[in-house]
Amino acid sequence: MPVIRTSGLGKHYPMGAWPARRGTPVRALEALDVEVMPGEIFGFLGPNGAGKSTTIRIMLGFLHPTSGSASILGHDVVRDGLAIRKRVGYLPGGISLYDSMTGNGLLDYLAGLYGRPAPLRASLIERLELSEADLKRPVRDYSRGMRQKMGIIQALQHDPELAILDEPTEGLDPLMQHAFLALLDERRQAGRTLFFSSHVLSEVERVCDRVAIIRRGKLVAMSSVATLLARRRRHVEARIEGAMPDLTGVPGVSAVDIRDGVLRCDLEGDVGPFLAVLSAATVRDLTIEPARLEEAFLEYYAPDAADAAAARAS
Amino acid sequence: MIGILFRRTFQANRVRIIACVIGLVVWGAVLPLVYAGFGQTIGAFIRNSNNPLMEQFASFGGGDLFSLAGAIALGFIHPIAIALLGVMVVGFPILSIVGERQRGTLEVLLARPISRHALLLVLFCVGALSLALLVAAQLTASVVSAAFSGVLDELHVGNIPLVWAMGTLLSVALMAIAFGASVSFDRVMPALGVTLVFVLVSYLLEVVGSIWPAAAWVSDFSLFHYVRTKELLDGQLRLFDVGLLGGVLGIALLYSWIVFPRRDIAAPS
Repeated sequence: MPVIRTSGLGKHYPMGAWPARRGTPVRALEALDVEVMPGEIFGFLGPNGAGKSTTIRIMLGFLHPTSGSASILGHDVVRDGLAIRKRVGYLPGGISLYDSMTGNGLLDYLAGLYGRPAPLRASLIERLELSEADLKRPVRDYSRGMRQKMGIIQALQHDPELAILDEPTEGLDPLMQHAFLALLDERRQAGRTLFFSSHVLSEVERVCDRVAIIRRGKLVAMSSVATLLARRRRHVEARIEGAMPDLTGVPGVSAVDIRDGVLRCDLEGDVGPFLAVLSAATVRDLTIEPARLEEAFLEYYAPDAADAAAARAS
Repeated sequence: MIGILFRRTFQANRVRIIACVIGLVVWGAVLPLVYAGFGQTIGAFIRNSNNPLMEQFASFGGGDLFSLAGAIALGFIHPIAIALLGVMVVGFPILSIVGERQRGTLEVLLARPISRHALLLVLFCVGALSLALLVAAQLTASVVSAAFSGVLDELHVGNIPLVWAMGTLLSVALMAIAFGASVSFDRVMPALGVTLVFVLVSYLLEVVGSIWPAAAWVSDFSLFHYVRTKELLDGQLRLFDVGLLGGVLGIALLYSWIVFPRRDIAAPS
């Protein structure tokens, strides 16, 4: 059973507060179908305003969907919000904390509201390098990075079955980002599910099993990171002596450019057929750029290329 | 979980509550002292002046300085007392829901297994208990001050609980209206504005009605009018007043109860 399942999920905001002034509603989310399986780290990608936070806020019951449905751990997000929130940890994007409380007081308070112990707190504090002295200070004295660490600890300290993390590495230095990603990996190994939105594609590429990319409230791609990378175009450059190979009809090859003994082309999908054709020629040098999630992402976001990319992905 | 939330809400507001208690204790003690010191002289001066306008202005909001009951009533309706109570009547509901929503701490709280109804109920109980404490502090100070000044025998001390109950009921009804505004907006300023306009207009109607006989009818439209402190100190409780204030409280609370869980919690600013 999926841990998260959305079906035709939509959220529209009316324009203007008064019925007489209402125009076309803003479509923040449209017909979103996503499934996240147990034990997955699922990346949710999209630029600002794409609908990532709206989706997360619907999952936690802060927003009410205008169409479709969503369930978390088998519970409907509209009817069973309490049952969901008992089993979920949440890190909001740009978290706000109670500034007058000390770090320890805040973590005690937020854990107490779950009504169960916080078995992971000590190890999270150690891994994120917060000292006991830090935790005795009021939160108002904390730097942005320390606040983010507190946000991560409060979301994970009670060992939730599902953690929903909105931009979790925001404000963390590279070392802490590394420690955080290792933490996610450990949680996955412990059988927990993690759903996180991010702009940092390298971290998504590193830890996520699958990703969904949304654009203007619509899902444009959802697949495993490996599949997404395999599908995206690589840039190929080959220095060839003698006759050039005929690449006509080779699957996945496009934008072929031959000049001064150098063959340049784009290659998409399986590299086998391309290499088979190339092996007949005398290749002096060959460069195939590794596929990066960043380029796959950008491909989905180039205004005109998005639809084509989505069509290819499907 | 509810107990933790309740304790934390009290703790977070303790400085505000203590400051208001101190302010109301001082204020509650002042007017009986003024009455004991100058009340008779001022009363005689105004009555001998044969100036009805002066007498009207001296009866501000149903209170006066010519009797101990009048002095206590004046202390209740005076802007100083209203402002001190207003910290909890208006400030607390606005800051604890729409204020937290705007800051972003409300979503941290509601990400826990706490229903919006439970949160509203806890906040309401904390606010109501605080207001009961504030009104009690002012009245206790007035009684102690009257005793200290040697005029306590002019007061039916047994009727003080009636004044306390009605004063608390009015404060809690106004607080329930503030909660209604707090759950209806995404930002503090509109919620604060709507609540302040309601409270200030209501207050103004009572004051205008009390000092201008031709416009006495306007005070019927003020909630403040239905806490008739002097009558209460004489042991006269009108059930209509209780029903009206209780009705306003009930409707405002019901509104919040229905609206709060149905509202989208906007992203913090």
